[in-house]
Amino acid sequence: MKTMLKTLGLSLAAATMALAIPASAEDYPSRPIGVAVSYGAGGATDFQARIVTMVAGNEDMLGQPMYILNKPGAGGRVGWNWFAEEAEADGYMLSAYNVPHFIAQSIKGGVKYSADSFEPIANWGADPAVVVVGKDSPYDTIEEMVDFAKENPGKVTLSGAGLFVGHHIAALQIQKATGAKFVYIPTKGGGAAAMKAVIAGDVVGGINNLSDAFRAAEAGNVKILAVADLERNDFLPDVPTLKEAGYDVDNASVNFRGLMVPKGTPQDVIDVLAAKVPGMFEHARVTKRMKAGGSPLHVMNREEVQAMWAKRQETLSELLEGL
Amino acid sequence: MTASRTQHLAASSVILAVALTVGWVSFTQQPEEAFLFPRLISVFFGIFALWNFIRAVMGLSKVGEGLDGATVRAIIPGLIVMLIYIFWAAKGYGKIATLEGHWSYDWVRRGMGFYASSTLAFFTLYTLYDPAPRTELKGWAKRIIVTAIFMAIIYGLFALLLKVQTPRGMIF
Amino acid sequence: MEFLSYFGGVFEPIAFMLLLGGTIGGLILGATPGLSPTMAVALLIPFTFQLSPTQGLILLGAAYTSTVAGGAVSAILLKIPGAPANIATALDGHEMAKNGEGARALHLSFMSSGIGGITGVLLLIFLTPVLAQWALAFGPSHLFWLAILGVTVIGSLDSKSFVKGLLSGCIGLWLSMIGYDDIQGAQRFIFHDALTGGIHIIAALIGIFAIPQVLDMFAKGRRKVAIETVEVPEHAIGDSVREVARSARPLTIGTVIGSIVGLIPGIGGQIAGLVAYDQSKKFSPNKAKFGTGHPEGLIAAESANNAMVGPSLVPLLTLSIPGSPTAAVLLGGLLIHGIFPGSDIFERNPEVIWTFINSMLIGQILMVIFGIAIAKWAAKIARAPLPIMASAVLVLSLFGSYSVQQSMGDVWIMLSLGLGMYFLEKFGFSAAPVVLGLILGPIAESNFVQGSMIAGAMYDGVWAKATYFMTGSLNIGLIVLVILSVGYSFMSHRANSKSPASDAGARA
Repeated sequence: MKTMLKTLGLSLAAATMALAIPASAEDYPSRPIGVAVSYGAGGATDFQARIVTMVAGNEDMLGQPMYILNKPGAGGRVGWNWFAEEAEADGYMLSAYNVPHFIAQSIKGGVKYSADSFEPIANWGADPAVVVVGKDSPYDTIEEMVDFAKENPGKVTLSGAGLFVGHHIAALQIQKATGAKFVYIPTKGGGAAAMKAVIAGDVVGGINNLSDAFRAAEAGNVKILAVADLERNDFLPDVPTLKEAGYDVDNASVNFRGLMVPKGTPQDVIDVLAAKVPGMFEHARVTKRMKAGGSPLHVMNREEVQAMWAKRQETLSELLEGL
Repeated sequence: MTASRTQHLAASSVILAVALTVGWVSFTQQPEEAFLFPRLISVFFGIFALWNFIRAVMGLSKVGEGLDGATVRAIIPGLIVMLIYIFWAAKGYGKIATLEGHWSYDWVRRGMGFYASSTLAFFTLYTLYDPAPRTELKGWAKRIIVTAIFMAIIYGLFALLLKVQTPRGMIF
Repeated sequence: MEFLSYFGGVFEPIAFMLLLGGTIGGLILGATPGLSPTMAVALLIPFTFQLSPTQGLILLGAAYTSTVAGGAVSAILLKIPGAPANIATALDGHEMAKNGEGARALHLSFMSSGIGGITGVLLLIFLTPVLAQWALAFGPSHLFWLAILGVTVIGSLDSKSFVKGLLSGCIGLWLSMIGYDDIQGAQRFIFHDALTGGIHIIAALIGIFAIPQVLDMFAKGRRKVAIETVEVPEHAIGDSVREVARSARPLTIGTVIGSIVGLIPGIGGQIAGLVAYDQSKKFSPNKAKFGTGHPEGLIAAESANNAMVGPSLVPLLTLSIPGSPTAAVLLGGLLIHGIFPGSDIFERNPEVIWTFINSMLIGQILMVIFGIAIAKWAAKIARAPLPIMASAVLVLSLFGSYSVQQSMGDVWIMLSLGLGMYFLEKFGFSAAPVVLGLILGPIAESNFVQGSMIAGAMYDGVWAKATYFMTGSLNIGLIVLVILSVGYSFMSHRANSKSPASDAGARA
């Protein structure tokens, strides 16, 4: 039996030797590339990641398909912890990032990553946070809601997709800018669960993604009171920004989505990806699908993302100080 | 048939110990808000574990047949192959400092690869538990063929159809 | 009756081919251990990019219905439930397969799936506006009580001892809390790095159900009896049809429970099968036969988990709120094609939506036909010689638990839970309550935490939480149900333990 096993092992080894040779950078990529998404299948990040990676296999793009790997849990901490600690830094495992989420979490602590653990490749989307209320809510403008909250501190509940994600950052900024006390209710199950709480009237209002809120408003289920961005959004030309409403809230809560690799990935691999990926995001088929799904596309190259990360790191450190 | 009182006592003690540890961790760890629910659960866990323990002490615990010598002897070889298989199929967490630099390090640390280890494990387990006499060539041929067919199905399903990227071990 | 005028779209050549392909593919994917319906539908989304919206949705809808039913195949034949929906199916279905009745079990399972599924889709067609409001009625406090109600089911589920059933449930609840706390982000009970992500339900299912079974097969040793050469009896389809027709009670229980539970966002499909199994047991004159290969529980569980498919789409289509993880993936599929859910979706995109819904009706029928066609051959798998079966289940467990998130950590969790469960089972603990605790723990906890925070903002004083959780007719109704459920299982266990048959009836 021993000899048989040996023979079996050897023949298998011989048959598969070709597959086991590590890939060098010149022929990168020589096999499919994984993209780890730190949220569940069906969430906004997951479904956008599936769209923007769909042309990766084209000959003029990377020439190898990208597949999505969901590692959900604890607002993204599980997936990014895994990516920072366990993923091979060989260019065959990428991850989707969500800023400000992972930067805010790393500032807050208790995770194994920081902005320095990753190398950005490119950014595909920017989804601002908006303030929404149910369709039967007494509030029609952000001022009415803020005034009520000032008179009744701790009575206005706002749902959002978790702690130290874009929605929470927006709530903290609104609280800081208005001086009113809100009660932020983190929901489990992402933006969809937070939106359900608003529509069903479980909470007074909510902070949610512009793309999801836009659709809910179109369907007549919610009213959108304000956008937490520097300028009005093309999807919602009639909704004021919080700045216009007189509250000093910038775009720190805008949810930027893009791709990154772990630190330690060979520089030439990063160069290949940084050169090809932005073009992939701008492919006609990708833009068409993103537009159809109501997801704002915002392509940024590696240098721009590096600058954006650094800026967020600074703003968020300041905001989260003493919390 | 039910297990002996001693066996029931041992099992219920282990569970009680787990319940007490869970309770202890829940009530000592911070932050408090995050451990509110664990505290609630651990109270019930503890009560039921104690109730179960008392029943075992009084000899009232009768459900479950326990383990006997023959069963354990029959399981052991399979269990050993199973553990080696699962832990050697792919790269593990952490490092083994004592082996670093030694030629065997790669083999232990990187694992064998999913398909190679599965083929070996399937064949070994099949051979271990196959009642056909091991002197017959026919039996060996059958086992090899069944293993090959099964692994071909697994490869077709997971690698070709579903495109699951299995860990790349030393072999495959 | 508007939907009738759109049936033509389903039978266009390409659409029908997709429906066929989606159904067959869905059955295969659903039957693969480790691939939940959610992952299967997510895998198919890229294929829909090339298709028109209607065609894409037909493919996804067909896959959704048939993966849920396909999960029953591995649950029955290998005792590896493909998804939480199929746990209850494995309890009696696998026993039937071991008794040589695999073909019968598969027939019954596909037929009751079809009946439940068609009822569910009809509810979706006729009652959507009414049901949508219903789905919204459940706030955090109600979901909390619902989860507790599910936990109380533990006491009576597949368990021969009251205290051990509850204890198993507590073990499951504790396991569910391992890993990062989802709301606060605090780390809890992480005593190994592999546990940071918590215990994934699919990996846990594989370990808890498959590994003890492998060890049991090892325990039979290298004996001649291990090769079981009993012929698999052919099972006439006519007999199965007659049997399903006679099983009005479990079918009704399953369909009603599946439809109601499916509507509730966030709990839905995960527990529909288990609750239906438990209820049909409580109402059955043959309680003692449950768990020994009795078809009633199988029929209830399978009709429930397909009945939930239609209603789970109600909140999705009208409110854009996905009622189940799979519905969440379908939402992505809708959005990619520019179809935005909303209460007016039936006016805005009538042909897409009605064709989609109709295709699910036809899909259910196709699924039953294909399911029955494969049953005869598939049933033979369960009768393979034990050494082959043990090795195959073990290899499938490794591949299945790994492919959930491509993580070796999940494989180790699978193995540890499986070994632990083997010993627990030897001492009278059972797997189903552990799994139920694992599923319901996070639901109970997150709704408890959210409810407490909302209560603090809504009411003043020390009684704020009590007011929020205990007042209102829906809360009170649910609390009464919880008390009834606990009382019932306690009384019936007492009655059982007085009769001498109870210990003799313990699982051998």
